[in-house]
Amino acid sequence: MSGISLQDISKRYSGSVLAVDDIDLEIESGEFVTLVGPSGCGKTTTLRTIAGFEKPTAGTVHIGGKDVTDAPPYERNTGMVFQDFALFPHLTVHENVAYGMEADGGYTDEEIDARVAEMLELVELPGTGDRKPDQLSGGQQQRIALARALAPKPDALLLDEPLASLDKKLREQMQVELRRIQQEVGITTVFVTHNQEEALTMSDRLAVMNEGKFEQVGPPGDVYNEPETRFVADFIGTANIFDGDVTQTEDGYVSVDCGDVEVESTATRETAVGDDVSVVARPERFNFQSSTDDDRDENVFTGEVTFRRHLGSSVEYRIETAEGREVVVVRPSGLDEHEPGEQVTVSVDADNCRVVST
Amino acid sequence: MATETSTSDGGESGRAGLKQNAKYYILSYPLAWLVFVFLAPLGMLFMFSFWVHVPGTGYTAGFTLDNYARFFTSSLYVQQLWVTVELALVTAVVSLLLGYPLAYYLARIDRPWLRNVLLITIISSLWITYVIRAYAWQVILASRGILSSLGVATGILGSHQSFYPGYWGLVVGMVYVFLPFMVLSLYSSIRNLDGELLEASKNLGAGPVRTFRRVTLPLTKNGIASGTALVFILALGAYVLPRLLGTPNQRTLPVLIEQQIMSESNYPFGAAMSVLLIVVMLVFLWALIRITNVSAANIGGAEGVTGEDETSTTSGPGALSGLWSRLGGVVAATGLSRVYGSVASAVSDRVEAVDSDTRESVIGTSFRVYVAAVMLFIAAPLGIIVAVSFTPEEFLTFPPGGFSTRWYVEFFTDPAWVRSLVNSLTIAAAAALLSTSIGGILAFTLDRFDYKFGSLIGTFGVLPILVPPVIIAVAFLVFFLQIGLTGTRTGIIVAHGIFYAPLPFILITQGLSELNRTYEEAAMNLGASPVRTIRTITYPLLRANVVSGALFAFILSLNEYIIAWLLSLFLVKTIPIQIFNQLRYSYPPTIAAASTVFILLTVVVMTAINRLSGGIWE
Repeated sequence: MSGISLQDISKRYSGSVLAVDDIDLEIESGEFVTLVGPSGCGKTTTLRTIAGFEKPTAGTVHIGGKDVTDAPPYERNTGMVFQDFALFPHLTVHENVAYGMEADGGYTDEEIDARVAEMLELVELPGTGDRKPDQLSGGQQQRIALARALAPKPDALLLDEPLASLDKKLREQMQVELRRIQQEVGITTVFVTHNQEEALTMSDRLAVMNEGKFEQVGPPGDVYNEPETRFVADFIGTANIFDGDVTQTEDGYVSVDCGDVEVESTATRETAVGDDVSVVARPERFNFQSSTDDDRDENVFTGEVTFRRHLGSSVEYRIETAEGREVVVVRPSGLDEHEPGEQVTVSVDADNCRVVST
Repeated sequence: MATETSTSDGGESGRAGLKQNAKYYILSYPLAWLVFVFLAPLGMLFMFSFWVHVPGTGYTAGFTLDNYARFFTSSLYVQQLWVTVELALVTAVVSLLLGYPLAYYLARIDRPWLRNVLLITIISSLWITYVIRAYAWQVILASRGILSSLGVATGILGSHQSFYPGYWGLVVGMVYVFLPFMVLSLYSSIRNLDGELLEASKNLGAGPVRTFRRVTLPLTKNGIASGTALVFILALGAYVLPRLLGTPNQRTLPVLIEQQIMSESNYPFGAAMSVLLIVVMLVFLWALIRITNVSAANIGGAEGVTGEDETSTTSGPGALSGLWSRLGGVVAATGLSRVYGSVASAVSDRVEAVDSDTRESVIGTSFRVYVAAVMLFIAAPLGIIVAVSFTPEEFLTFPPGGFSTRWYVEFFTDPAWVRSLVNSLTIAAAAALLSTSIGGILAFTLDRFDYKFGSLIGTFGVLPILVPPVIIAVAFLVFFLQIGLTGTRTGIIVAHGIFYAPLPFILITQGLSELNRTYEEAAMNLGASPVRTIRTITYPLLRANVVSGALFAFILSLNEYIIAWLLSLFLVKTIPIQIFNQLRYSYPPTIAAASTVFILLTVVVMTAINRLSGGIWE
């Protein structure tokens, strides 16, 4: 098993668009790393650079310690699962899964048959070898695509939005399944998705990409709870974001003037008075208050509930203040229920807020 | 791979996985054929038209305008030029009027099997040599032929009379031959029409006539345009029909050209007339485009809605259809929509008084009767040939006086016929291979690599099929005279190979554009080299297109007459040549048997193409 190392990778397409802008990433052997970001952020280009379908304009790619920057795709030993699966329609499931080993040339027919059977077992579709891809359901095609990618024992598994074409229920099922298989095989995996929920649930680490750069790289909990940039806070999960100028810094706390409201936050980064910053507060960190007792460390908002929806285990409220600001609050289901139209006061502790770069 | 050249198209080369220079090596193969064996003969044709004819010995190099002067100073030639153009126009217009209802019916019919049967019938008849199809009309129109016999039997005619040779007999034959092209152009256009639009129109209160005039007709004007232009061009270059169904008064330009070459051996004058035919074609195309642009604005209902392939003018076939759609704007725009419109509103006024149910059923019934009649017109002549081929008698009679296979025995035992059959099959098979290698490799290189003049080369790739065959024939004749390939099978193979290369080119280009590139990436990701990827993934996925392209070229070469005839210089005989020659002297029923064998062969191959491509006609 082997890791992947991207050093100073840039990719400029003929034109002038810089799709990937000088990124570095070290992926450890057996690690599951997700590249997540909006469409056009460069995540797919990065993946295709690892696979060898794109040649970086600058930088180097190492797989298993070997420099493969100039190697063509067929000499890289990566296994890729494509968004639309790309199962060869004219070949059977068996022939699809065997394809990589046959191209390799180093396996006997018996070894190939045994390995194909093993792979079909792994993805829980034994006995489907004689079928054609179009005789399989979307979820089954997905599994076969995974089996095909893993069959030639690649150094790394590359997944390009493989769950995007599945319906929601199947997608959630496949998230679990994919992770199980990945851990069972112990293969280094790079997963690309625009779905932040998928990124959070599946990865050891996730790399949030925006405009060709990494905004933040870290374990899901860290990225969610300790976003470093406004973009990450906004893209991963739901966030209340208060943009303003620093008016005061003291004792590890920062005061930020947002025009309609002054917000207090823990000083999670170095700031000086006058800096443009954003304060981030996750919706589930808010509480409803019965009275408006003004605490120094609390940010208090009063307004009308304009919208409420049940999310199962929790309830989401949208509250509009007199100044027209919308605050999103999520509370556990069954506690303090409030009706749309009701006047309420909510607060969030300064310790539960973070200062991030705008 | 391309290590030192990490230029902007590095991604492209990585994907194709081929060395940078390879793209020029590969392109050079089809390009060499097209330049040296297609453009060179055309250039030589142009040059030849200025050379000097020496009666008796042939020609000498030189420069004279006499060939052109001779044409324009003779009122006979100028008049024949006009006849040629008039015939082409009449054919195009009549084909449109007959073809539209049939195409509409085919596109809207909800019984797939019936559509398939009708389409196969239309398409199969499309490829059968003009010689056999003209022959069918001779059988129908001759004195004591089918029409005449029917007329006498029913008392309409007092005595037997012949309907050919003559102007209207010729028009009927021309329309019969070119109608399938019109129907197929219209069919694909009407088929693309969203049925909900028609429902929306009816929902908004428009009756069938109004819906047709305001929605259907404007939205299908691209099909009308391309069909009309296509039929016009094909009719302009027609040789066999005017020759077999017309009188000397209907000697069109292609007929005159053939006479100069084969009877007078006046190659320079034949070349000059060929150049004139090209010029006439270009002038008329240009004029049609001009008319459209000028009048497009004031055509009721025709403006506003543009067709389906307005954007696809980059690739070769795209550029072609772009041309056709512009041409078509012409026809759609000017007369025809008005003719249709006024007829339609006259009908609608007439039936306004009747209640709407009756009205719809009257329209529906007369529509179906009309469609059935047109379909009969397309299908019956070949059926008649098949029927009369089983006559036991020495001469063709209808209805046949019995059943016998003696003429088939005759066909398969007569050394002359067998030799022709072997020639036909050999030439067609070799030409199909050549066409596919040229068209296929051109399609592949243009799809996979970026070239500076890529779209120009693509247009170049479809050009041969647009040149009237009689001109291809004369061009290759003068070319082969120089290199000694006249009167050989090789010469005919090369000419057919170039002439039909656009068919595999278009089909394979289409296949490549529909091919999902991810399959190839998946193969490479799994460790397959570029060669292995092409062998195990790309080719298998394209096989239907490649084989269909080859079969198309095969069937067309098999049925081609004029190129083979002029290049044969009496030395090589194919089945169409053999039938044509026999038609000049006598009418043994062997011709009908030979034709039936040929029809059967064509239908089998066309059905194979259809099977192979899973409904390519859609």
